[in-house]
Amino acid sequence: MTTSQLVFDPFSEEFFNGPWEIYRRMRDEAPVYYNSEHDFYALSRHEDVAAAYKDFATYSSAYGLDLATVRSEEPFAAKMIILMDPPEHRQMRSLVNKVFTPRAIEAMRPMVTDTIDRYLAKVDRTRFDVVQDFSAFFPVEVITQMLGVPEEYRQQVREWVDTSLHREPGQIDMSEKGMQAIGEAMALYYKLIQERRANPCDDMFSRLVAAEIEREDGGMESLDDFEIAGFATLLGGAGAETVTKLVGTAAVTFARFPEQWQRLLDDRSLIPAAVEELLRYEPPVHYNVRRSMREVDLHGVTIPEGKPVFLLQASAHRDPEAFSDPDAFDIDRNRTEAQNLGFGYGVHSCLGAALARMETAIALERLLDCLPRYEVLWDDCRRVAMQNVAGWSHVPVRVPD
Amino acid sequence: MTKKIEVDFGLCESNGVCMGIIPEVFDLDDQDYLHVLQEDVTPENEKQILEAVRQCPRQAISIREE
Repeated sequence: MTTSQLVFDPFSEEFFNGPWEIYRRMRDEAPVYYNSEHDFYALSRHEDVAAAYKDFATYSSAYGLDLATVRSEEPFAAKMIILMDPPEHRQMRSLVNKVFTPRAIEAMRPMVTDTIDRYLAKVDRTRFDVVQDFSAFFPVEVITQMLGVPEEYRQQVREWVDTSLHREPGQIDMSEKGMQAIGEAMALYYKLIQERRANPCDDMFSRLVAAEIEREDGGMESLDDFEIAGFATLLGGAGAETVTKLVGTAAVTFARFPEQWQRLLDDRSLIPAAVEELLRYEPPVHYNVRRSMREVDLHGVTIPEGKPVFLLQASAHRDPEAFSDPDAFDIDRNRTEAQNLGFGYGVHSCLGAALARMETAIALERLLDCLPRYEVLWDDCRRVAMQNVAGWSHVPVRVPD
Repeated sequence: MTKKIEVDFGLCESNGVCMGIIPEVFDLDDQDYLHVLQEDVTPENEKQILEAVRQCPRQAISIREE
């Protein structure tokens, strides 16, 4: 029996459809994987991925966040915190982080619940698409409302984000349509920023307009339009498409493991644990790409300086060295066995984690209410084809008669 | 040589995982400020402190040896 050559291609159908077997082979055969076609490295074991996320000095975020941008060898121009290294990163992130603490997010529970309920009220509860009719809408609605985007533009933001993330198999760089979508979103944000400069109100745009940071020369200055629009682009994008995926994954995963759904029906206090296990089992964000800032020797392989390095948390989560019986979906498992990397780790760990957790938990509550028994229409389920996030775009379900 | 708990307050984002692990040492108040109630790492609390170090999503806690 010959072993097929191990190829990890994040722009392939295999990736879009769930590359769990490829991840297993990478952990076993090539823990420091090298893709010669595209000249990138990838770490797949939990210990290595966690350590790399912590080590921002070695693994920089300043050159981009995907293969297309990191391989360009120039530091990326956009002023978004996801693309900054410390020390610049610290100050910029501090401008918004108080808004996202668990305590601050908890205060938003009524708004989030109301938003989720508003969208759920529109569906035919006997038969609907968990993503297309439900989870596609409320995450972007919540984050854009926080930002201060008027209601009439909020769902448009989602369409712009989806377009910018979409990749056809084999397509590494963003498409023309994707760049146009980003341009249109930035134009909207610039317009809103000018409005808030003239008339501030109680939203994040206004907060960012009022903020000041210490520049290189030591002087305190406010943020420019490009910097504020960068925040909006990042928060809108991150807030729009991740929870959407996690809720879709929930509907599929609980259909595959109905005894786990029954556990939740019997005991709703397990909902937060279920959210964590969903994040472990199939995180919406499979990887982030960093740039190696020095030579790294790991597992007998030398990663040269200046290379894209994929940090594969989706693989780390299935590492048997980290989690017992990692391929089992078990909401009762011991969550402290290893760090859940679904929200990253270290200085760039997801700013919106508490919000994402709360949105997903409330959505699960509502799904338990209206779908105690449900069937997924498997033939009509569809996967997204996107850069770095994975999940379902369509999960039609029906309530059995 | 003693071991002391150190918190980088520029990194702390009030997630409170540390408080969940060992509330006698880490207390997050109503204003989202973290108080280190006692800063010594002892044989009794070391395991939990190390857990707090590991589980802090922002990696804001470290141990300083003096």
